[in-house]
Amino acid sequence: MPGPAAAQAAWEIPARFARPEAGSDEGGLWSMMDREEVRLRKSPFSLRDPKLQAYVQDIACRLAGEHCPDVRVHLVRTPLFNASMAPNGMMQVWSGLMLRVDNEAQLAAVLGHEIGHYLGRHSLEQLRDAKSRSAFAQFLGMFGAVGAVGQLGLFAGMFAYTRDHERAADSIGASLMRKAGYQVAEAAKVWENLLLEIKARPDGDASRNPFFATHPPAEERQRVLAQLAQESPGGVGNEEQWREGVKPFMREWLRNEVKRGQHEESVALLDRKIALAPAAADYRWARGEVYRLRAKEGDLDSAVTEYLAAIADGGEPPDTHRGLGMIYRARRQSPEARTSFQRYLELAPEAPDSALIKSYVEELRT
Amino acid sequence: MRTLPMALLVFLLAGCAGVAKVESGERGLGERMLVSLDGPWNKVSAPDRGPAEVWTMEGRPVDELLIYSGIKNEQVIHATAAGANRKNFAFRSGMQPDEIVAMFEGMLTRDGSTFKLVKLAPADFGGAKGFRFEYSLTRKVDNVQLSGLGFGTVSGGELFALLYQAPRLAFFPRHQPRVEQMARSARIKT
Repeated sequence: MPGPAAAQAAWEIPARFARPEAGSDEGGLWSMMDREEVRLRKSPFSLRDPKLQAYVQDIACRLAGEHCPDVRVHLVRTPLFNASMAPNGMMQVWSGLMLRVDNEAQLAAVLGHEIGHYLGRHSLEQLRDAKSRSAFAQFLGMFGAVGAVGQLGLFAGMFAYTRDHERAADSIGASLMRKAGYQVAEAAKVWENLLLEIKARPDGDASRNPFFATHPPAEERQRVLAQLAQESPGGVGNEEQWREGVKPFMREWLRNEVKRGQHEESVALLDRKIALAPAAADYRWARGEVYRLRAKEGDLDSAVTEYLAAIADGGEPPDTHRGLGMIYRARRQSPEARTSFQRYLELAPEAPDSALIKSYVEELRT
Repeated sequence: MRTLPMALLVFLLAGCAGVAKVESGERGLGERMLVSLDGPWNKVSAPDRGPAEVWTMEGRPVDELLIYSGIKNEQVIHATAAGANRKNFAFRSGMQPDEIVAMFEGMLTRDGSTFKLVKLAPADFGGAKGFRFEYSLTRKVDNVQLSGLGFGTVSGGELFALLYQAPRLAFFPRHQPRVEQMARSARIKT
């Protein structure tokens, strides 16, 4: 059996696909996905920012090569790690994925993997395997379709291909990364980082997660990707470009991450982000929010430390002062609470909770 | 076969079982809350909403009034499924209004819906100091934009709250005055 490098060397990018005949099973699938794409374009969850969309589309195009005109990137406002690609070329990239990757190369690893499924036409094989109605519903979920079947499950877009398909997509993705000039070594880091979050969950056991049920074990995946990276050294990560590209959206994505209420995963994510960028006020604020909302023993002290670090870094979100005020108020540190709330109201006078915060300021005067 | 009709069907089936009319007049909600109704409602059996009593004017999933009466410390405020991966949201007696609203937000967005707080202000509720909040919700299952209104207070360490949500066009403004009246009439026995 050939090793991953030999298999990769033997693989050639296919020519662009013609639209299948409408009467064929593949043609029917394309038509269904076309309808989903129309719905996706109108969805309130669609992130319609021309600049960001063009940026991510450009990365996808660099990977897809001559297939670029057939790959249509749609950004979706959903705070989970996911990307998917339908057989008609509709690619979804969720905001939770964009929050998690650290550079262009890591995003390219996931997009390249999805394009790998597309180029390998793995969905067609899956379709022909999905004989029963329930299997067909699960099959549709593979593409993160706009309808609820594809959205309700965590990682819904990623756990229905076979392990062989996943291995092939990893290999194709790494090949596309190399051709596009990206560091293949970043591909292994994506899975390492995701594993860190999953292991931080209260249930702790990554092997019980559905994401790993059909994917190759993370360790195997990392090993194979690392081996491929060794054989393809060099390339760029483009960390700075990525950070600048997503900067306008980072605060909203962090807010949505905190709102998920998966505190342990969020702390694991933010620990990693802060290690990479210790002076980023938004990350410190977000970690403070997670600690404050989790409120386990010692968490409120940690939250105060994070909020103060965010303020020291400068450019902190107004909510930093609100969070501090809430903790000081609960601890009956009235002068500190009043000062924090007043600062919050100065920075965010139109905040939706301003009436409540003003009532706290009044209460703290007495 | 389409994905959306399948999902809606599940949603509709979940909401259509067991309907009873709630007549106008004074009504007890749980052991400690009383409200005065100026018109009838429909009470539906909704196990998916956990400890909340669920009323509706138009029928679910169009609109719903969630009534939380006497939720205890560490009690989860929604239905839970064994082995489910999703986060559970529980009330804690020491929660402040913003934390209670965040808890409701978490509960309402467990399915991937998006919540936006529009207003949160102090307000009397049930004869005690409490809070009132307004929100918008984009429902994941069908992308419908809802408006929502909530009232709450903590009494004796227990949570009492009303949440009403309906499509922002037509349905929400049609029934909002009735919900506001009901909230004003609420009384909590100490």
